[in-house]
Amino acid sequence: MNRLVGFAGVVSKRVASAMALLVGASSIIYLTVRMAPGNAVDAITPMGTPEDIKQQLAVDFGLNEGPIIGYFSWLSRAIQGDLGDSLVVAMGSRVVDEALPAYWITLRLSAVALLACLFIAFLAALATSHHQRRSGLIAAPIYFVTTIPSFIMAVFLIHGINSFVRYNVSPDVIFTLDWYALGQPSDSIVPTLIGGLALVLSDGLFVDYLNALRAELIKLKTSQFIMSVRSRGASIWPHIIRNLWVPLVAGYAARLPLVLSSVVIVEKIFGIEGAGFLLIEAAKVRDLPMVVGVSLLFTMTIIAVDLLASIVRIVTDPREVARGA
Amino acid sequence: MFVIKSIQKGLFGLCLVLATASVSHAQAFAYPEDTRPSSLLPFFADDMSAVRMVELVFDGLVFKNKRGDFQGALAKDWTVDPDNRGIRFILRDGVKWHDGRPFSAEDVVFTVNAAKNPKTIFTGSGKFNFIANAKVEGRNRVYFSFRRPITDPHSRFVFKIIPKHKFNGTAINRRDAFSRKPIGTGPYRVTRFTLRQITLEVNQDYWSPARIARVVMQHTPDKAAQVNLLQYSGGKAGVQAVIFLPPKNIPLFENSDTIALEPYHTVSWWYVAFNHENKALGDPVVRNAIVTAIDRDELLQANLGRGDILTGPFTEASPFYDFDIEMREPDTDQASDMLQKAGYVMKDGVRSKGKTKLAFRFVLDKEMPEQQSLFLGIQAQLKKVGIQVDPLYLDHAAYKETVWKREKYDLTLNVWSFEEVEDVRPLFHSSGSLNFINYNNPKVDQLLNAAQSAADYKTYKRQMKALHGLVHKDLPYMFLWSLDVYSGISKRVRKVFIAPYYYFTTFREWELKR
Repeated sequence: MNRLVGFAGVVSKRVASAMALLVGASSIIYLTVRMAPGNAVDAITPMGTPEDIKQQLAVDFGLNEGPIIGYFSWLSRAIQGDLGDSLVVAMGSRVVDEALPAYWITLRLSAVALLACLFIAFLAALATSHHQRRSGLIAAPIYFVTTIPSFIMAVFLIHGINSFVRYNVSPDVIFTLDWYALGQPSDSIVPTLIGGLALVLSDGLFVDYLNALRAELIKLKTSQFIMSVRSRGASIWPHIIRNLWVPLVAGYAARLPLVLSSVVIVEKIFGIEGAGFLLIEAAKVRDLPMVVGVSLLFTMTIIAVDLLASIVRIVTDPREVARGA
Repeated sequence: MFVIKSIQKGLFGLCLVLATASVSHAQAFAYPEDTRPSSLLPFFADDMSAVRMVELVFDGLVFKNKRGDFQGALAKDWTVDPDNRGIRFILRDGVKWHDGRPFSAEDVVFTVNAAKNPKTIFTGSGKFNFIANAKVEGRNRVYFSFRRPITDPHSRFVFKIIPKHKFNGTAINRRDAFSRKPIGTGPYRVTRFTLRQITLEVNQDYWSPARIARVVMQHTPDKAAQVNLLQYSGGKAGVQAVIFLPPKNIPLFENSDTIALEPYHTVSWWYVAFNHENKALGDPVVRNAIVTAIDRDELLQANLGRGDILTGPFTEASPFYDFDIEMREPDTDQASDMLQKAGYVMKDGVRSKGKTKLAFRFVLDKEMPEQQSLFLGIQAQLKKVGIQVDPLYLDHAAYKETVWKREKYDLTLNVWSFEEVEDVRPLFHSSGSLNFINYNNPKVDQLLNAAQSAADYKTYKRQMKALHGLVHKDLPYMFLWSLDVYSGISKRVRKVFIAPYYYFTTFREWELKR
């Protein structure tokens, strides 16, 4: 019973701080976009548009109020679930209707890339946790490649593959690649696959995961209880995998924000119409409701994943309740 | 070598696998656009990508055919009142909207009433002012009365008709969902609208069905990528046309077996604008020295390719261009002398006169093609005569705010584009809506006022030529050039005719060879 009360207390504390964080984040984003030079009315009206037309549009777009009042008007509508209508990038659509499908693409790309990274890092950790010499040989080139920033990796992949196709694959002779060139709109899964690869192979994400898992593995393998399991002649792997579960989940939650921030640039470079792409396009034309709406989705995901990781930690380790997770 | 070949083979195999995962667009006519259409609701289609797309989805009562004559689109016939104060249109029978509903005279009257409703806020509302009243006279007849006699009134009915049944009233909101899910009567209907791609399918019910089954517009801001896509297999895969080929890329396709260069007429010219509020730039000697110091031909050749260097605010194809006006030849020594004689003395590489220093802020739009290299060329040439220019690169929204709205700039580089012929009154009249350079010359105002009330076209033309001479001398802008405009179109596309400005007016006649 006490554990349940403690659990509820920790979760409610986290939810309350998450709400405060959401309000803080949304206000900063809203005010930053409002105060940047240019606005949505200027973005959509040609040069020479009479001022009275611009004024009427500003009223229609809700840009006639000052930034502070405007923010609170937006907040009051957002609390009721109305994030408003897109002003420019998806004119004629509600922010939610455009942002959610786009965000689903982003989330899928980030989550799958991170999972792939985790899986490969896990295998690499297994392969390198035995022998120091082999680990050095394998780790050095991996370190070199995977610490490149994601945008450089994305540009490298896109130019490399496009150039290769341009000079080696002639659709007149053999076959047509409808995803060519990478970076162009395409219905194919290929840009998403290559974009995911760029995420896995960059920002030190893989190395970071590999190091963490390898250290955890070595610690476990040299622990007393694994020694005793081994001395009984039983397999140690069920025990190791069970004990690796918590650091794996915690590591996933901790790295998701990094991947979500990288994915914004990667989507833009590969032309994947996810939330990152939408965010950049909306920011360029000062589509205020869209920028705030999409940014909030990113913030909410990070908060939700962190909360989930806390719950997993609390469930698997009761001492976390005492520590306040 | 072996390793490289192995990698190549591996990548080739990968491409083969990835090819199977692709969805085919091979029989579609695909073309890239620099910008995404802001709205497909015709009233709000302000940018050129939207103008072109609207041309495929909607019809007007009339359109301009290949010969330049007006021909009926939704109208079958028309009769003009003897006093030119009204026109009666007989509409085509059996026309359907893309959602299957029948088109009628009610839709035509609704469109005009919507355009004239003050709550429909759009920049082109002035084009409807000549209509006093619109009246339905039966299902297929509509009558318009005018505020004053209009010569050739049918030519003013190219505006697109929208469906009455898709709106709740005549006050049309820019953010109506119709702008992304348009219903027209045109040769193509919109089947997909995403951030980067719009797909159109042929409208089989159209009175003269188009011959190409599908059109795909893809948003590709990078011009180099557009050219690369066109080159890839000569438009067999990738894209079949690039609307505007940068002049420097034209030689790539000059002897191509697969891509044809199609010239088309646009009315646009490039300029460097001087902010006349700046004390130094308000001095005609400084403006003259700047224009004399810059070798425009060199800048054009090095950065953009082919075009005509201009002496005034009209393109060489314009009826108002005065060929008798002599071109200013670039001469840095002469430019230096002008400044020296006017009292601008050199100090630490920059000239100044009293407290007026010839150091300017040159504001540039990041989305403008070749702006960086053009600026560097201008900067280097001006430095030779002791004029310092410092760049400020802004994104498009910030540029509009800084230059056009707040006028916080000294110099800027940009392009003016016009629909058919240059209407330069808003640019140079002291009260002009596009006079963001704060130009005020009573002689120019007087000439523009006289031209506005000119009794006939001949007089108007004469006055525009006089204006050409006047602004050439006074230099409100540095007039740069008009570019040779070519589209690159796959030779698989036949019967191509590019309509000025609207581009796709006769697209239904184009064919795509398999």
